[in-house]
Amino acid sequence: MLEATLNLKLLEMCSKCGACFSICPSCMHIPGYDPRAVINDILDGNYEKWLTSRHIWQCLECHHCLEICYQHYGFENAMAALRTIAAKRGIHPTQLKRGWEMFVKTSRLGEPALPARKKLGLPEPKASGADEFKKLLSLLKEKREKKKK
Amino acid sequence: MKEFAVFWGCTIQARFPFIEKSTRIVLEAFGLPYRDIDGFTCCPEKSLVNNIDHAAFVLTAARNVALVDELGVDLVSPCTGCVSNLATVKCELNANPKEKSEVNSLLKEVGREFTGKSKLHHLVPFFHDAVGILAIKQRMKRDFSGMKIALHYGCHMIRPSHALRNDDPLNPQKFDNLIRAMGAESLQFLTKLMCCGQGLDRIDEHDKALHFARIKLRELKSIGADALVLCCPSCFLQFDNNQFLMEKEGEKFGIPVIYFTELLGLSMGYTAEELGMTAHRVEVEPFIKKWESMADRPPREEAIEAGLNGPNLIG
Repeated sequence: MLEATLNLKLLEMCSKCGACFSICPSCMHIPGYDPRAVINDILDGNYEKWLTSRHIWQCLECHHCLEICYQHYGFENAMAALRTIAAKRGIHPTQLKRGWEMFVKTSRLGEPALPARKKLGLPEPKASGADEFKKLLSLLKEKREKKKK
Repeated sequence: MKEFAVFWGCTIQARFPFIEKSTRIVLEAFGLPYRDIDGFTCCPEKSLVNNIDHAAFVLTAARNVALVDELGVDLVSPCTGCVSNLATVKCELNANPKEKSEVNSLLKEVGREFTGKSKLHHLVPFFHDAVGILAIKQRMKRDFSGMKIALHYGCHMIRPSHALRNDDPLNPQKFDNLIRAMGAESLQFLTKLMCCGQGLDRIDEHDKALHFARIKLRELKSIGADALVLCCPSCFLQFDNNQFLMEKEGEKFGIPVIYFTELLGLSMGYTAEELGMTAHRVEVEPFIKKWESMADRPPREEAIEAGLNGPNLIG
């Protein structure tokens, strides 16, 4: 499953480097957060145990690892791939799911604060594209179901 | 200058409308050709949407970009996350024709097309590159000389660099240049480029989010920063709101958090009330008071005049 989304050849190089480890904020400030261990497990085919780990969600997606990486790859890709699999299995922080549900339902992560806007003298907010967005999501769903058949 | 649409994003409009206020004030004051357009949705937010459904992430962002593509205008956003997400998807689709045509086949059903032609800018590099430091200096009524400002770029203003291409991703300069042009000292400190850590609040790890905020705020206090200046609603939430929460628990840092547009507005003569800064949770008073206490220095024009026409090296 991971092979489909990750370039294991590049990750093999990552396992011998670790430049990102010295710049990643989570590595510096969260005890036990060590993507080098994750990468080695992915390469050994033992990634399952990481799907239930808090650590894969503690990647802040700040892209520091990507920028310092001489392959412009970075372990963020490994963490993102694991998060995707975990989320598909329903293993994820509860707030994440709440945010996703709001997004799907309203096309936004919060509606404009109307009373505060009025007080500040801000213009009426522009119309959102919620209807069109919902139509697109259902088209995407249809397309996926067709593919399955 | 090419006309541009402003992409406000969910967080600014839902939680921090005063940021929209100060942004509109400076856009108006500079006479920039901006407009509001119908139809935007969430950019969408990466950690919430991309982790669950990559295709929905790409499709939603592509649709938002298609709206400005169609109008033939560019896009500018005062939200760091929005620009980064939209630019990441634009870059992915432009580099991947097969994916682009798949996305467009869906967009076609709702009458849209992503061409990826419009430029997507973050407000800060936009002010640096398109408005320019000279224009800013010309409109300033009073500078911030004597004030010590700590900058927080916000990761997604400059990264990922392959998508944004607006500054050095590991040693950015443009925000610093703007702050220096406004006369302030831009402090250099260890945690300057450290991620704010707000993402931890989104995965039910509030204590760790506070810990990340604390690391930077502690350093800022120790080097005597007068304010933390940034241009990202997520980072603002982290440093203003979470600092306030820590203050309530008795941990006081007293570092005012100021949005780039607010700082610019102040320098142009707008008051903190006009700019909506009274809605901040951490008091901005100490910054304003210190700045006002320096007001008896001669104004810039007089100093320049004196330098040109008064006694000088030539005689």
